[in-house]
Amino acid sequence: MNKPSLPRRDFLKMTLDSLLAFGGLLGLAGLIRFLSYKTEPPQPTEFDLGLAETYPLDSVTAIPEVPAVLIHNDSGFSALSLICTHLGCTVQVQSAGFACPCHGSRFNSTGYPIKGPAATPLKKLRVERTSDGKLVLYTN
Amino acid sequence: MNPHSSNSPKASPNQSGLAIGLFLVCLGAMFILAAWWAYDVVKTSTAPQTTPTLAAPTPASNAGRLAQPILSSPQNPTQLDQGSLVYWGICMACHGDRGQGLTNEWRAVYGEDQNCWASRCHSGNHPPDGFIIPRDNLPHAVTGAGSLTTYTTAQQLYDYIVVTMPWWKPGSLTPAKGWAVTAYVLKLNGTLPQGVALDATDASAIKVHNPVPTSQNDQIGEIVLAALLGLVALVLILQANSKRKAVLVGSRQATLSGEPAPARPRPNFLLHLHPPSIPAEQARWSYTLGTGGLAIFLFMVLLVTGILEMFYYIPLPDQATISIQTIARLVPYGGLIRNLHYWGAQALVLVLFIHLLRITWTGAYKKPRRFNYLLGLALLMLTLALDFTGYILRWDQGTSWALVVGTNLIKAIPGLGNQLYEFMVGGAQLGSAALIRFYSWHTFGLTLAMIAGVVWHLFRIRRDGGIAVPPARLRRSEERISRVELVRREMLLMTAAAFALVLLSIFWPAPITPPLTNTSVDLTNARAPWFFLWVQQLLKFGNPFLLGIVVPLLILAILIVIPYLFPKPADSELGRWFPKGGRMVQILIALLTLLLIGLTIWAILPEPG
Repeated sequence: MNKPSLPRRDFLKMTLDSLLAFGGLLGLAGLIRFLSYKTEPPQPTEFDLGLAETYPLDSVTAIPEVPAVLIHNDSGFSALSLICTHLGCTVQVQSAGFACPCHGSRFNSTGYPIKGPAATPLKKLRVERTSDGKLVLYTN
Repeated sequence: MNPHSSNSPKASPNQSGLAIGLFLVCLGAMFILAAWWAYDVVKTSTAPQTTPTLAAPTPASNAGRLAQPILSSPQNPTQLDQGSLVYWGICMACHGDRGQGLTNEWRAVYGEDQNCWASRCHSGNHPPDGFIIPRDNLPHAVTGAGSLTTYTTAQQLYDYIVVTMPWWKPGSLTPAKGWAVTAYVLKLNGTLPQGVALDATDASAIKVHNPVPTSQNDQIGEIVLAALLGLVALVLILQANSKRKAVLVGSRQATLSGEPAPARPRPNFLLHLHPPSIPAEQARWSYTLGTGGLAIFLFMVLLVTGILEMFYYIPLPDQATISIQTIARLVPYGGLIRNLHYWGAQALVLVLFIHLLRITWTGAYKKPRRFNYLLGLALLMLTLALDFTGYILRWDQGTSWALVVGTNLIKAIPGLGNQLYEFMVGGAQLGSAALIRFYSWHTFGLTLAMIAGVVWHLFRIRRDGGIAVPPARLRRSEERISRVELVRREMLLMTAAAFALVLLSIFWPAPITPPLTNTSVDLTNARAPWFFLWVQQLLKFGNPFLLGIVVPLLILAILIVIPYLFPKPADSELGRWFPKGGRMVQILIALLTLLLIGLTIWAILPEPG
């Protein structure tokens, strides 16, 4: 009588263990999928700023919802993000630049860091004019 | 005799080949299931989640922009089909074919209304005198940057549309058309979940600005789960023959007499939780029906699914139902988790009732198990309290009266009533405080007490000698089963129950009704949860304190004194159903059961006339 290469009980144990391990992996993937649902809508990336005429030449207007600042100068409209490039606090607009209250970073009027832990300039944001004469700010 | 000898059953070469073949088939099935599920997951998670941009119009395609939309199903129009028609016929003239609003570009394309400020807007469906669009309040865009910002949920958008639109004849949309066009606007924004027929039931959960992936089919994953459970159950059944019901009396006596125990592998934690062996009589399915183990399993299911639901449930009156709708409709596998929780809870009440019948009809309440019987009754009360508090957490139109009646019943208690009411409700009337309290009781207070009670109940089972059977000298057979076999039987029961529960949850969703609002709710059918229907029927007869508090407490009191006041079966009669010595208790329990079932059926019969 030949001895079996794999006894029945060991085969069944192996099958059960692999089914459970496999099920565990699937369950983990399902759990991750379950917990990844986002209940809040994503932040908007387009902001309607209204008619271009409301922003006169040489004005620097804060747009708090973004947060960003809209600059109207000789070369047209541009925008700078007010999110500090260090760790994300909203920088305060000052007479000749921007200052971050959290860790003391300072930026000049073009957003370039002149002091403090921030190492990269404030992000430039795209501003476009629609056919109706309105300005739209894009953060992406 | 060493019961754990590793003598493998000898199999012939044919059986080996069969075994390998069966294993390969299982492996293949696993991979097919995994591939199918993984494909579906990847497809839904990499689908584009940005708002779809409709093709930019070219001069040549302008004519197409004004044409009647093509329906996806002309013979049987879907809600979106109807919505596209409503939008095209009523809204498009002012809001643009892509929802862009009355832009200069759109006015040029639309043509005939271009000069409507001067000549008044006329067209086939406008008022005969025409109307003037105010120059400083042009029709807004309904898609794109800055649109629909004042609406968070589909319900809010619908409420605005049906009351104020169309602008030249507000309130003229029927609810069906209103929902259809709301769904269409959401579709334009890419935020309408797939397969949803928009109406009041879940419109408060659907967010106007939440982009959704293009396909949401959880059923594949759920069926994979059921299939896996079936495979595991199959393997557990097959294992029965390879683990013999060893006769262990010899080795047990050796240990009792002080000789060193025979060498055997040290058990893992799961095995360690069980005695090394139990009399085979204690483990007969036909005796216990597995109700105790089933109850433990269902409780564990409720714990896990409950914790998962806590990630999304919000215990505030205006958000509770919405958060449940979010779980049931929008969260991946949320519907499965919620349905498992609901059906698990209802099954637990039923299983506990059958467990009570088993205990009382087999005389298992006898000394030394009397205290454990009382523990069991306490656990039953805790379970009903957990079920009721969980029911209330829905805070929707279907459950509001249950809360009102339940808490006012407490008020009916003379003397303490008002204070107890305020304790339960957290104030003088029902509101956010009541919801938070019920939530805290349900997720924490009652659950902790239940866990402590279950652990104590299980400890007492071990200490009192396990499941009730005659003592060893009176027993009919000396057969015992090892802890390995016992655990296998428990795992088999749990897997089979999980399989049934998952199938139930896939095909039969838990109930939910529209959220409670401040306006009075018109309910022609106010029903208690099913396990309290008998109380609701009793309350139809008169005094609420006597019928709603005293009578149920009397029934509980009768149950409590059963082990102390009534004749009990002899020790030799234990371990089987309807022993002669316990006749009085059996008849009493049968009468109580008939009473409860009778009242429940009476409660759901239609009112005469």
